[in-house]
Amino acid sequence: MNNNNFLKPLLFVGPHIILFIVFILIPSVYGIYASFTNWNLIGDPVWVGLDNYKTILTDTDSTFYSQFFNGLKNTLLFVVFSVPLLIIIPLLIAVALEHKDLKFTSLFQTLLYIPGLISISAAALVWSLIFNKQLGVANNLFGSEAVWQTTQPYAWIIILIITIWAGIGGNMIIYRAGINGVSKDLYESAEIDGAGPVRKFFSITLPSIRFPLIYTMVMTTAGAFNVFAQPLMMTDGGPRQSTTVLMMYIRDLAFSHGESIAGLASAMAVLLGLVILVISAFQYYVMNRNAA
Amino acid sequence: MKKGLMILFASLVFVLAGCSGGDENTIQFWTPLTGEDGAYMDELVDAFNETEPEFEVEHVVTSDMYTKMYTVLNSGNGIPDLSIIHADRVTSFVKQGLIEPMTGIMEAQPELNTENYLAEAWEAGNVEGTQYTVPLDIHSNAMYYNKDLLAKYGVEHWLDDNVVTFDEMLSLQGQLEEGQYVLNDALAGWVVLAQIQNLGGDIQQDGAPAVNTPEMEQAIGAIKELADAGLMTPYGEDGYLMFQSGNVLFSTDGTWSSTGHGQVEGLNFGVTNIYAFEPTTFHNRASSHLFAMLEKEERTDEKEQVIGDFLEFIRQNSLKWAEAGQIVASTEVIESPEYDEYMQSFFTSTPEQEESLHIYTYEHYPYVAEAIDTYVGDLIHGEMDLQQGLEEMQKFVDDKVAEGSLDIENAETEETTEE
Repeated sequence: MNNNNFLKPLLFVGPHIILFIVFILIPSVYGIYASFTNWNLIGDPVWVGLDNYKTILTDTDSTFYSQFFNGLKNTLLFVVFSVPLLIIIPLLIAVALEHKDLKFTSLFQTLLYIPGLISISAAALVWSLIFNKQLGVANNLFGSEAVWQTTQPYAWIIILIITIWAGIGGNMIIYRAGINGVSKDLYESAEIDGAGPVRKFFSITLPSIRFPLIYTMVMTTAGAFNVFAQPLMMTDGGPRQSTTVLMMYIRDLAFSHGESIAGLASAMAVLLGLVILVISAFQYYVMNRNAA
Repeated sequence: MKKGLMILFASLVFVLAGCSGGDENTIQFWTPLTGEDGAYMDELVDAFNETEPEFEVEHVVTSDMYTKMYTVLNSGNGIPDLSIIHADRVTSFVKQGLIEPMTGIMEAQPELNTENYLAEAWEAGNVEGTQYTVPLDIHSNAMYYNKDLLAKYGVEHWLDDNVVTFDEMLSLQGQLEEGQYVLNDALAGWVVLAQIQNLGGDIQQDGAPAVNTPEMEQAIGAIKELADAGLMTPYGEDGYLMFQSGNVLFSTDGTWSSTGHGQVEGLNFGVTNIYAFEPTTFHNRASSHLFAMLEKEERTDEKEQVIGDFLEFIRQNSLKWAEAGQIVASTEVIESPEYDEYMQSFFTSTPEQEESLHIYTYEHYPYVAEAIDTYVGDLIHGEMDLQQGLEEMQKFVDDKVAEGSLDIENAETEETTEE
């Protein structure tokens, strides 16, 4: 009987635990170990202590130093540009969809959500055609003269456009669910007290969806740090490596044409992970404290 | 209910554990041939299997093949019996002890020898006197020309010696209609690598990578001159497409593109060599698909027998492969009259043409190529200072070579000092 009680929950969480251990925990631990080694993916990793970190962080002459900091700078730029937009736009849409007179809300919600379901590579192909100098709508219909992929700031703009297009749906759904959970009584009494829509938004809606907000903020930021496919597909990191994000350098080091440099790549990945961890923790702390 | 859960659980474990593939009774054959190439290879494999060999060949197209190869070699599970690798991998694979020599196969199949293949393709698999691969093809950089545009600008005579020179192209400066260009920048990195050969340079010196060289500077500088003169399609624009839409005289892409160009209605095109400095010295940077056997202990003699049969079958029957636009490596196929119908037969039409195909086999070539590809666009289009670019490229390769090749001695000292 007791035994049975112990087994049942295990059966429910078991599959997840196994998947987590096999695909997340073991690779992460091994990745951290690899970051302290010199490894070409084939032979045995050779322990080199903190050498990889020293090269990346202090050896200013090294290609890897400049790659890491250039990659980190571009990644941070992407985070700074994309995260606020990925929070504010879905939030505005979610609030707008709540309006009493709006018809076909589910239709709009579906239309906005669908892009997030499309594979980012397929979407990037479509978008690069839209911004193609020869064939594209942007140049032919709107008379733009720019070669979007190889001129700044256009290169960043197309990366952001596809990111936002694909990213708003997910957050919007979460905000809608949060807003639906807010008691209608609150709004009604606010109206009786003479609150306008702006006041209601800041005084009722925002505080009520505090936790969805924290959650989406942390997850969107972490996701933005891991950006890879959009710049790879849209600009290939150009012009002059100004859109080459850290994940692209990491992948090139580990899985490019030459012999793999997996140790250094792992060290860069660990450093990126630390940055994400610190920033997420900071966000969580600040938002939670302000909300309390 | 509980039983159902158990079954679910068990099947999950089974799925996770069952990831290692590999059938005992087939020849597992991995290739990186995605897209149409893979379909042509499928046809060749099917044709071989119809001869009822002892083991059937199972063709597995693997995107990201090299990463997967590292994984299976590491675990020792699911290593393919036969695979196709690129010429520039051979030296490093041999150095790391990842592939087996073809010696046994060649003994069993006497026709698999240097006489029966294009020399450049065969030699790509030879490391210090041992033959590690048998070639399938050479795929080369090639220059397509738009016949109608050549006539329009009255420059058809450029092709008389089969080599278009820098000077010839520069002579059209200022004479082009708006929106038309002499050449595009497709595969610019390969074009640079051809010019280095034309200038008598190399990408290595005494085994060390040599990127920041006078030849590299001259090669990139000369191409930049074409771009500066307004003859090259602008940076970031789709030069391949502009050639297909009939606005570019020359497109420097690959032998395999002939099928794509052929599908464009009204595009009247031909193929020639990559442009050069002098009509007498010309090269086309090439690579090769090579059959190789990854190091695998449990590959039986019987399987090796069938692999030999398969390679011999391909040697005799790879005309199909020409349809994919590749230069077939088997001389028997190349010399057959049917092969002349394919555009790429131009590159094997004379001994001089055959010699123009250059495959880089330098151990660190992949790093050099990566550096060139990363920088070449910014350099030829003047986004970046040439000198600064050359220095960064050299450092890029040097640093990767230093990290990529394990310096065990250093590592061990490090370890002992930490203890």
